[in-house]
Amino acid sequence: MIALSQSRTKEVLAIHGWSGVFLGLLLYAVILTGVIAVFAHEIGEWSAPLPHATHELPQQGLDAALRARAAEVDPAFHDELFFFSDTAGRIRTFFHTHDQKPGESTPTDRGVEFDLDPVTLAVLDRREGWADEVQAQNLPAALADFFVELHVSLHLPNPWGLLVTGILGLAMLVASVTGFLVHRHLIRELFTLRKKKDPLLVKRDAHVIAGTWNLPFAFVLAFTGSYFSFAGAFAIPAVAMVAFGGDQEKLIETVVGVSVPENKTPAGFANLDAMLADARSRTGADAGFVSISHYGRADAVVSLSMMPLEGELASDNLIYDGATGAFVRQKPFLGLQPSLGNDLFLLMTPLHFGHFAGIWSKTVWFALGFAGAYVTLSGMLLWTTRRQHQPGWARLARAAHWMGYGLPLALAAVPLARFIAPGLELDVRAAQNWTFIAAAALATAIALKVRDLDTLRCVLLAGTGVALLLAAPLRWLTGGPGWVTAFEAGLATVIAFDLALLLAGALCLLAARRAKVQPLAASDAKLIDEASPA
Amino acid sequence: MTTLVAASSNRRRAWSRGLLAGPVCFITAAAVMAGAALWYPEGAAQINNIAVPIIVFPAIWAALFFYLMLDRRLGRAWVVAVLLLLGHAALIGQHLMAAQAAKKAAAPAAASTEGAPR
Repeated sequence: MIALSQSRTKEVLAIHGWSGVFLGLLLYAVILTGVIAVFAHEIGEWSAPLPHATHELPQQGLDAALRARAAEVDPAFHDELFFFSDTAGRIRTFFHTHDQKPGESTPTDRGVEFDLDPVTLAVLDRREGWADEVQAQNLPAALADFFVELHVSLHLPNPWGLLVTGILGLAMLVASVTGFLVHRHLIRELFTLRKKKDPLLVKRDAHVIAGTWNLPFAFVLAFTGSYFSFAGAFAIPAVAMVAFGGDQEKLIETVVGVSVPENKTPAGFANLDAMLADARSRTGADAGFVSISHYGRADAVVSLSMMPLEGELASDNLIYDGATGAFVRQKPFLGLQPSLGNDLFLLMTPLHFGHFAGIWSKTVWFALGFAGAYVTLSGMLLWTTRRQHQPGWARLARAAHWMGYGLPLALAAVPLARFIAPGLELDVRAAQNWTFIAAAALATAIALKVRDLDTLRCVLLAGTGVALLLAAPLRWLTGGPGWVTAFEAGLATVIAFDLALLLAGALCLLAARRAKVQPLAASDAKLIDEASPA
Repeated sequence: MTTLVAASSNRRRAWSRGLLAGPVCFITAAAVMAGAALWYPEGAAQINNIAVPIIVFPAIWAALFFYLMLDRRLGRAWVVAVLLLLGHAALIGQHLMAAQAAKKAAAPAAASTEGAPR
């Protein structure tokens, strides 16, 4: 495609390979967990189903719910609050204020959080404390949160976790750009699979095909992923430091564009349902996120983030005077006028999460993400297998097998802990974390014990298959709805997820059986040398 | 002997290139991003200079990385990176010092206004 000299191609190929070798193991973990996190809502719905599945805010009743919950909490927590439909389908509302947590330099949110039934708006759960404590007590979202946190920050403390995943995103960006540059025959390689050749050559072709088809998607995911990581880790504080002398609140005020003179005079609060109805009539869309500042004061502000209309990626915010209910303005998400910064900002989220067209776009993102995980793993295996006669590379080949097939085993074990822990009165989030660590330790022990890499792959695949097959029956045995109940309640996600896990488990067992019959890793590495692009 | 010297030189160049395309590239890209808040046009909404550099940070890093990795003249690559880094650091430093001075100048004025008889 792009004409590079032979020496340049070699350099670019070296960058491509080494970016994968240095960071491939962790990159694979981030991609695989990202593939799972695409279905965070569905995982929440599957692991903690309500009698009625919905991920929308109700059109009526939110005002009464707001007043009832506001009366129950310390008025100090009326400072800020929000409503949104969370990953487990509950309406989550958090009444909070910004407070100084002992031992921390920056203010943290502290308050009371409620889970409300999305249809009846009855209180399902109440949690109180600092934001991180409140989050730790949130049981329905625990399983989805585990996968999302692993993807976002590898469960490392901030900002280190975000920095690591950001750097991994940059490595993926390098691999996708160099992957494009080293393909001299891009179109031909999209369709070249030499099935009747040596199995290792077939694997190399499969890596190239999956990688080539996946290049634009890998680029988009890498770019948006590293943006999200670095923005939170240091970019926003750095720009706030330069532009506003470190005042992040001033930055947010400028960027969000809502500034109301402070007025602490107590005042009534206008009807929230009426504001939601007005917003719906103005935009034709439903609100996805409701944010209220200074509830019960004369300077109360209501900000409604509307859902994008069908066929659109972005939407607007509507601002209302909380005390009178008067419409103030319709504005872009950032700033008060349309801008390039706002457009780019709004593009990042749908491009990374793939939720712009519901389950269909999520399925495409899942498939392309899965292909990305396959490309990362197969690239690692090809790169290390071709050098496995050298001691260091042999160890890396083992590590690639351990991560490639051990990580799915550890991830598949986590839902089992989610369902067993409540019955044993264990802390669910801690049980999930320890189960993941225990399963990863087991995979490590197996990787150290089993010398033959094909047998290792076979054992880990079989373990993953068994764990996946156990998840659905365990969900049902620990009090979750059976298929008949789920069908009658319209909980299609529960049935679909059960079936998907059973199918995935069966495919893993089948793959383990095939791996035993057709060992691949011992093939002659020379064939890959001959087949390599440069 | 000549082979040993050549190998040692190659190793030094590889380390230098790794340092340049690794930590130096990242710090320089971060400085360019932060400094861009001062020179990138604000636009009518007055937020482009804040939002755009944050969003395109991965692109700034990638462009710099590929240049620093692939420029055959290692010395020139170092010069470009150091100039970009120092240029933006100086811009940011000058802006912060000016802001500090303005704050100091405003403080006595505000104090005298508060103390003045109404």
